Amino acid sequence: MVDTNTVSTMTSKTILSYNGPFYIELISVFGTNIRNFNDAYSNARKKLFKIFIELSQNVSNYSENFHMVNNVQRIGVGELSLKEFDTAYSFTTKNQVKKTDAEILTERCELVNASDQMKLRELKREQRLNSPGEKFGARIGLIQAVMLSKNKLEYKVDKINEDFSYFSLTVTIDKY
Amino acid sequence: MENITLTSSPTTPYFPEVSFDVDKGICEISGESYMEETYKFYLPLINWIKDYAKHIKKSLELNIKLIYLNTSSTKCILDILEILKDFEDEGGKVKVNWYYDKSDPDMVEEVEDFEAESGMKIELIEFE
Repeated sequence: MVDTNTVSTMTSKTILSYNGPFYIELISVFGTNIRNFNDAYSNARKKLFKIFIELSQNVSNYSENFHMVNNVQRIGVGELSLKEFDTAYSFTTKNQVKKTDAEILTERCELVNASDQMKLRELKREQRLNSPGEKFGARIGLIQAVMLSKNKLEYKVDKINEDFSYFSLTVTIDKY
Repeated sequence: MENITLTSSPTTPYFPEVSFDVDKGICEISGESYMEETYKFYLPLINWIKDYAKHIKKSLELNIKLIYLNTSSTKCILDILEILKDFEDEGGKVKVNWYYDKSDPDMVEEVEDFEAESGMKIELIEFE
């Protein structure tokens, strides 16, 4: 596990905290507020908005705890937390995953964290070209988060039972 | 073939505005794109361009004015660019313009990747 979050011991202010289904309407309203809540650090907030949408939609699309809308649409349930520090924003998502998927996600995070920007760009192109498309999307959200933030992913797996775990993911976005 | 016109709404900012005009041969996608079920939204647009290339065969201009698109949308845009590249390789006349905000350097990198992945030349134009 990676724990490089040097801002974690500093004083922080919680900007947003949520636990529940990740409806697109909610993600959109939260995202718009994140982008517009003040005029400072506009470049950092643009990146934060993009990362916020990607990681929130990962929860919405892939959480193993989900709501069904009209017996058709599957909306993932999870948690998010956005904190502001003096020099950075920290965005965390947490959702339920299958134990086997937690292992795959951990491997992906390790690969992404071990790659420099050039390698990430290669991975992104390769992954996007080879992704099955349709309901699976491009599967490059984690790569995109690191390319935008230029910080490593912090991730944690907490076992729930023999079949499921919680997967937490934190991205730090520097203000400067 | 019919035109496609989709207007945006402040209550659903995650859908872009779309205007695909057969007579003018101009397609425009603008706003933001991060809806659920992305492929379902883009499939009619992808099919429209395939039909245009197959049956109309006139010149085609694609103007993209997206301030933000999520990674699922980038996959669909890449599909569109690949179809346009095939059309061009078969003799079709195609022009792709990508309008971007100069305060968003990440978008320029994204467009460069689209060019490399699709082989389609994309003209980068700053928003006025």
